[in-house]
Amino acid sequence: MIQIGTSTRGALSRERDVREAYAAHSGELYGFAVRSLGDAGLAEEAVQETFVRAWRAGERYDPKIGSLRTWLFAILRNVVIDLGRARAVRPGVAEGGIEPSVEPLEEALLSWQVEEAMRRIGDDHRRVIVETYYKGRPYAEVAEELGVPEGTIKSRVYYGLRALRVVLEEMGYED
Amino acid sequence: MKTRNNCRDWRELLGVYALGQLEGDERAGLEAHLDGCAQCREELALLEPVARMLPHADPERFESAAPQPPPELGARIAATIAGERRQREQRRRRRLFGGFALGGATAALAAAVLAIFVLGGGGSGEPERHVTFAAQGVSIDATLEPHAYGTEIRMYVHGVASGTLCTVSLRGPGGASYPAGTFRYRWGDDSEAVLSSALDLSRTRAVVVQAGKRTFVAPLGSAPATAITRTQEEPT
Repeated sequence: MIQIGTSTRGALSRERDVREAYAAHSGELYGFAVRSLGDAGLAEEAVQETFVRAWRAGERYDPKIGSLRTWLFAILRNVVIDLGRARAVRPGVAEGGIEPSVEPLEEALLSWQVEEAMRRIGDDHRRVIVETYYKGRPYAEVAEELGVPEGTIKSRVYYGLRALRVVLEEMGYED
Repeated sequence: MKTRNNCRDWRELLGVYALGQLEGDERAGLEAHLDGCAQCREELALLEPVARMLPHADPERFESAAPQPPPELGARIAATIAGERRQREQRRRRRLFGGFALGGATAALAAAVLAIFVLGGGGSGEPERHVTFAAQGVSIDATLEPHAYGTEIRMYVHGVASGTLCTVSLRGPGGASYPAGTFRYRWGDDSEAVLSSALDLSRTRAVVVQAGKRTFVAPLGSAPATAITRTQEEPT
């Protein structure tokens, strides 16, 4: 009696692949989980569940279809939805002083992407966008504070938005 | 106001314009330039969606460091997955070898059973291989994983006396033997022995297990596999 069986497996079916994927993507996944769940403990649970599900479904991952990062984020979104549902029927969490996040998931994902992109651009670019756009301060005032011409502040806003676009595209943003 | 003579000078105002903060002469001048400059209009079209996304971000969040997962989370995930894999392999073994555990009668019926599953594939290099082998009431189950140093072997043996010394090696082309290590089988222990050999998995032709006085040879290969069992005299 001889049996020979064959099956093909994707890039995450081995534990070593999971370790590599964790090293590359856990920071971002955790950041989004914290942003959308509003709680560090739940975020850990979400990231753990994401990698376990990814490993279980490892043979279904096809790098030709999309990046590993995109696939992991898709799994995390489902996990966050599941955890959100579970929490909705677990009143203890809310009573414990932690306000459940009521932000819709898509909004949370967008916010997290822009915030993460803002962290990744250069300090000079981030600074002028914060001062002029978020704080609404006059360009002349910011220029004086930083000791550069006003035109430089304006061009930094331009290069800052350019840089943001590049980072967002790296994170999967498309028009 | 600075005199703007070329495209680049105007283009550097596009950021402020996209944010809706360009005023007065500069705004009027840029809009006049945009009317006649397709390149700057394209550039603006790249910035506008980014500008529209800014209100979604909270500066208090991005100006503080990004939250980091606790250092032990990676190890916890690895442990969870390893535990689940062991359970999965145990269930598979019970399905495969349940009959053999019953005793000598069943074992005598089966001269040899060999199953090879090629589990790997996809784009991640050489696949992991799975060899299950049963003869004379002894079942051996091994997962072979390729590494840069050679081959990792996770092995489970069932059906030999508790305390039996098992010596494992991989056989290469031409019959050369590459030791992988030794372990003892203990009753009631469902854990795997983890061994390693310097022979590349791609060059491995067979897994050889000497359990006590018996030697089992489980060949690998895509060709129809036959199991060879060499039995030396059992000690009395």
